[in-house]
Amino acid sequence: MSNKLMQQLIEFAGKVGSQRHLVAIRDGFVAIMPLVIIGSLAILINNFPPFGKFNFVEWMSAIFGDGNWQQVGGSIWNGTFAVLGLLVTFTISYNLAKSYNVDRLAASLISSASYIMLVPVTNDFGLNMNWLGTQGLFVGIIISLLTTELFRIFVNNPKLIIKMPEGVPSGVTKSFRALIPTMIILIIVGLSQSLISVLADTSIFEVIFTAIQKPIQGLSNSLPAALLVALLTHILWFFGLHGTNIIGSIIEPIYIPLVEENLSLFQSGMSAYDVPNIVTKPFLDSFVFMGGSGTTIALLIAIFIVIRKQKKHPYREVAKVSAPGSLFNINEPVIFGLPIVLNPIMLIPFVLVPVTLTIITYVALYIGIVPRTVALLPWTTPPIISGYLVTGGSWRGIALQLFNLAVSIMIYIPFVLAGVKTLKQRLGE
Amino acid sequence: MKILLVCSAGMSTSMLVDKMKKASEKKVIDAEINAVAESELQNHLNDLDVVLIGPQVRYLEKRIKECVEPLGIKCDVIDQLAYGMMKGDQVLDQAIKLANYK
Repeated sequence: MSNKLMQQLIEFAGKVGSQRHLVAIRDGFVAIMPLVIIGSLAILINNFPPFGKFNFVEWMSAIFGDGNWQQVGGSIWNGTFAVLGLLVTFTISYNLAKSYNVDRLAASLISSASYIMLVPVTNDFGLNMNWLGTQGLFVGIIISLLTTELFRIFVNNPKLIIKMPEGVPSGVTKSFRALIPTMIILIIVGLSQSLISVLADTSIFEVIFTAIQKPIQGLSNSLPAALLVALLTHILWFFGLHGTNIIGSIIEPIYIPLVEENLSLFQSGMSAYDVPNIVTKPFLDSFVFMGGSGTTIALLIAIFIVIRKQKKHPYREVAKVSAPGSLFNINEPVIFGLPIVLNPIMLIPFVLVPVTLTIITYVALYIGIVPRTVALLPWTTPPIISGYLVTGGSWRGIALQLFNLAVSIMIYIPFVLAGVKTLKQRLGE
Repeated sequence: MKILLVCSAGMSTSMLVDKMKKASEKKVIDAEINAVAESELQNHLNDLDVVLIGPQVRYLEKRIKECVEPLGIKCDVIDQLAYGMMKGDQVLDQAIKLANYK
C-alpha cells in the first residue's frame, strides 16, 4: 500500500471529518441520541411481544386498564423521537455556533424559532406534528445551518450592533447585541414563509420533503446503498481511520428517519414484519457491525478456534485484550493490535464479511423470515441482546445474528490460518 | 500531570485509560488521566499537560494541535500497536516524554 495514497486518504478524511458544517450535523445528532433512544425504548415497552407465557402488555393492561399505562411511553415518544426535527435543529445550530465561537444559545434559539415559523399549522391552529419529526429533518438541517451562518455574519458586523451612550453598563449593551441580528433573520424567515404560502400555496417543509428527502431515503433503503455504506466504512477502517465517525454526518440524517417510520408504524400496531423500511441504522449496527466494524467478534472467535494450544501466540494475546471491548462493539484493539490496518491478508475478510452480512440480512428481512428493525439502541448494546430488541423482541433476530456470526467465523478462519503461517515464516527467518 | 485521551466517542480510549492508571500507580506517578470524545475536547482543556489522540481519529491531528498547542499543551497521536495491545505503560511513557520535551 503506497504511502502517498495513505496520506491522501488521511487528508480527505481530515477534510470531511473536520468540515465544520458536517461536524455540527454529526454532533447535533450525537447530542439528541439519548432522547431518541429513550423514545424508541418507550415504544418497545408499550408493544412488547409475549415472552413465552408471560404477556407483558396484557399483564400491564389488566392492572392499569387498556391503553392507560401506555400513555407514559406515548408521551415520551411525543417529546423525543416525534419532534426530532425540531430538537436536532437546536443542537446542530448550537454546535455550529460553538465552532464559530459566537453565542451558542442565541443561535440555537433563533434556529428553533425559525423552524417553528415555517411549520404548517393545522386548521384549529395547532402545529402539524408531522413536520416536527423526521419528515422535517432536512428542513431542520438547512434552517439551522443557514440561520446560524447569518447570525454569525450579522453579529460580527459592527454596523448591526446598537450603540449605547457612554455610561450605559456594558451588561446592558451586551443584552442588545443579538437583538438586531435576530430581528433581521426572523424577518427573512417570515418573509420567505409567507411568499411560499401565498404564491405557491405550500410550505417549505412539503417542498423539501418531496423533492429531496423522500427520494434520497428511497434510494438509501436499498441493497446497493447498504453495500456502499458498508464498503466505505470498512475501507476507511482498513486504513485505520474511524469510518463511522467520518461518514456519520451523511449516514445519520438519512438512516434515522427510516427507522423512525418503522417505529411509528410499529407503535400504531403494525407488526415488525410489515413495517416498510429494511435498511436502517439498527440494521447495520446490529447485524453487520457485531462486535464493531468488520464483525470482528467473529474474528476473535476464529482466532480462539484456530489457536488453541499456543496460549502465548501473538494473535491469541490480541484476541484476549480485545474480547471485553468487543462485547460492547468496541474493536479498536483488534484493528490496531492484530493489526487489521494495512494488513493485506486481513483486507479481504474484513471487507468481505460486512458485504456478505449485508446481503444475508437484507434478504432475510426482505423475504420476511426475520422481522425488520423497530427499535434504536445505543451502538454499544451487545450482540444477541441487540438482535432480540431491534426486531421488536423476536427470537428470529437472535437467530439471524447467530447465523451471521457463524458465516463470518467461517470466512475469517482461512485468513487467520494464513496470517499465522506468514507470522511463523517471518519469525523463523 | 494531567493527560487527556481523545477519540471519536471516548469509548476505546477509556479502556486504555484504565490501563494507564494502573501503570501510573505502579510507577508511583501522580497523573490524572481521562478520555473524551473529540467533540467534547474544547470543554476539557483546563490545566492539561498532554493530549493524546487515538490513531483512528488521527486525521484530526492538525485541527486538534491548532486548538491545544497555543495553550502550551503537548499533543501527539498514540502509537498504533501500543494502542491496539492496550499497553498502558507504553502510552504513559509516551505522554511523560511529550510533557518533558521542551
